[in-house]
Amino acid sequence: MTEHTQNPLNHPEVQLANGRAYLASFIISMLLMTAGLWLAVTHITTPFGTVLVTSLLAGVVVIIQGYFILHMDISHAQMWHTVAMVLFLPLFVVTIGLTAWMFHGLYQRTMIMPPAASSVINIPPMPSMSH
Amino acid sequence: MSASAAQKVDPAHATLWARRYPGHDMIGTRTFGFWLYMLTDAMVYAALFATLGVLSHVVNLAGGPSSSAFINPVYAYGETITLFLSVLIYGYSMVALKNGNRGGVIGSMFAAMLLGVVYLVIAGIDIGNMFAHGIVPQVSGFLSIFFTLIIYHALHILVGVVWMLVMMVQIAREGFSANVVYRLINLRLFWHFQAVIWTFVFTFVYLQGMVA
Repeated sequence: MTEHTQNPLNHPEVQLANGRAYLASFIISMLLMTAGLWLAVTHITTPFGTVLVTSLLAGVVVIIQGYFILHMDISHAQMWHTVAMVLFLPLFVVTIGLTAWMFHGLYQRTMIMPPAASSVINIPPMPSMSH
Repeated sequence: MSASAAQKVDPAHATLWARRYPGHDMIGTRTFGFWLYMLTDAMVYAALFATLGVLSHVVNLAGGPSSSAFINPVYAYGETITLFLSVLIYGYSMVALKNGNRGGVIGSMFAAMLLGVVYLVIAGIDIGNMFAHGIVPQVSGFLSIFFTLIIYHALHILVGVVWMLVMMVQIAREGFSANVVYRLINLRLFWHFQAVIWTFVFTFVYLQGMVA
């Protein structure tokens, strides 16, 4: 947020448009997403390896898109957009991470697993209350 | 410090504050407010992805198919290409705005809108095929969140397409007034944000669903 300008086209949030940055973001995003698709289609690694690598690729793509097309930087015009985004990051981590963690434990302790999934049940018994 | 201390300050002309109000930055205030709104929309997506993580577990298949049994990567990749291209061309529309080129803004926005329509057609064919094979939301908890997530994203694309149509009319009628310019910046935030969300949908729903 900056000082008032008479011509709206002179506003810094109009002037930050950058065609080369948008093209770079497009090319890098397409290459990395294509690599992820190739991994998932060919099954060249284990399922866990594919999950890990595609997650990493998505992380890289999102950082590149955030910088090049959402302009998440510390310039005067964009500083508060970036600060707001950073303050939301813990909320995303808590929402997704804690939910996944809680239900992972809950399922293993409460659900009757289908036969195909029985091999993953390997939970030590809960500590006895008598100690 | 020493340099400024060496100069004699004339109290009659020293200025400690701005003499006049620099003006309310209407565009910056409104785009910031809209960005906060987009972040709350991202919180909705975070809740949906958390639900996807929970309901992807094998106990939630309820006898229905797992995602690896029915996901067609061709459709998902086609949606990736059209959406990323649309975001790129909307970016070129913003470059034309920077140069004050009204025809360039409208032309690029029209192309970006058409690609959004192509995205919706591909998504519609994909979802229609699944429905035709009995893969519908009510089969299992997993399919419920699967369709909720991809249809919620498709609704965002629909909103973006309608919004672009409205903005093309407004540019033609008003030119680049302050109101039109802040709406174009908000639409840029909205549309470019969909590319980020699609990166997650493509990775966590489609790619990782294929190996689940």
